[in-house]
Amino acid sequence: MLTKATTGRAKRPAKPITLVGVDVYIITENGIPAFDDYGAFKIEFVSNRGTKVWPGYVSEDLMLVNWYRCRFMATKAVTDADVDSFLTQLSKKWKWSAAQKLWNYGDEAGFSKAY
Amino acid sequence: MGKHVITMLPGEGTGPEICEAVRRIIDHTGVEIVWEYEEIGLDCLDKYGTLLPEKTIKSIAKNKLAIKGPTTTPIGTGHKSANVTLRKMFDLYANVRPAKLIPVLKRPWDKIDILTFRENTEDSYAAIEHMVSDEVAQCLKVITWPGSYRIADFAFKWAKANGRKKIQCVHKANIMKMTDGLFLEAFREAAKKYPEIEYGDIIVDNCSMQLVRNPGQFDCLVLPNLYGDILSDLCAGLVGGLGFAPGANIGDNCAIFEAVHGSAPKYAGMKKVNPSAVLLSGVMMLRWIGENAAADKIENGMNKVLAEGKTLTYDAGGTASTDEYADAIIKAMN
Repeated sequence: MLTKATTGRAKRPAKPITLVGVDVYIITENGIPAFDDYGAFKIEFVSNRGTKVWPGYVSEDLMLVNWYRCRFMATKAVTDADVDSFLTQLSKKWKWSAAQKLWNYGDEAGFSKAY
Repeated sequence: MGKHVITMLPGEGTGPEICEAVRRIIDHTGVEIVWEYEEIGLDCLDKYGTLLPEKTIKSIAKNKLAIKGPTTTPIGTGHKSANVTLRKMFDLYANVRPAKLIPVLKRPWDKIDILTFRENTEDSYAAIEHMVSDEVAQCLKVITWPGSYRIADFAFKWAKANGRKKIQCVHKANIMKMTDGLFLEAFREAAKKYPEIEYGDIIVDNCSMQLVRNPGQFDCLVLPNLYGDILSDLCAGLVGGLGFAPGANIGDNCAIFEAVHGSAPKYAGMKKVNPSAVLLSGVMMLRWIGENAAADKIENGMNKVLAEGKTLTYDAGGTASTDEYADAIIKAMN
């Protein structure tokens, strides 16, 4: 029988978590953003509404809005402090609405690829 | 009309045998078409390491017109769907699916003639997903005003050109006030340009219930991606299932016409699957390129075969093979 005593909160089995990058949502009216070298973080792709617009084939219609998700992957082992410093650098040139840290859970990426 | 160059994507599983039957029927109309055969789907993985080879992309980019057989989408982990990739890559923002009663299939309704216009590139299909903690997954539902306006405007244009009377925007803006609210706002703005078309809106859960209770009341529906995905299949189910459900994915510079159903790999090579969904997608494609007489010819031939009821595939209650059904349609077109 289901009772209060048997309905405790279940926990997902834990896996080691590693910080591997950061998605930054950049607002610009000047098309696909091109980035400087940020040392610990390197640009991997830029997407508009989830569709990759850099690098690779790009339909002329894809840049529908001024909001780009830019994925930066770590080039070495990084910490939260590295992300803070990276975003401070980025803010000098770019307006951004949000940033999302990218973690691996065990061997699995905890983030989707762009189409 | 001049010669058309069209990329043919037979797909996998039963796709090649279906597409061959469809090509024979379309060629029988006399429309001059050069078919460029290209590969897509899981079979390409071993050969090219991708579901969507570069050569296929180039062919579609050049011809700006393609017809596609079914492909298999891996579930859960693994490769991205070739279908969704194509829609995104070529910005095919309008998914158009007609649901009309098929005479031979007995249904409990007298009239169903619904057109769904599904926004095809945004919403939770933007593929922006993150594990934001070890126990919490998050998917961004991206709705933009330009993306919402253009699907609404497309639907009104289509409705006007095809004599449709009413369009309803399907949403959940009572709960998702920002995202679905923006979709509804853009729809209402687009509607202002088309005073001759009646318009309104309906909440998605109510729409689902109304569709199964009284589908005859609906004309055209405009929906964000996720609701459109679900309700367009519901509409296909109302009229007889995916075997007769055509679809078009249309952008400003490219159009891909495809069946909605899967590749049914267990039937591959048996030549028993109904090619009607791809055929009706071909009919939509012929109308899109202005070959209306050829489209009418195929549709009339198919309706004649269905009405006679002698040469039907198994899903429609018959025993005919894919090829026998195609041959019967070709004969009925003469």
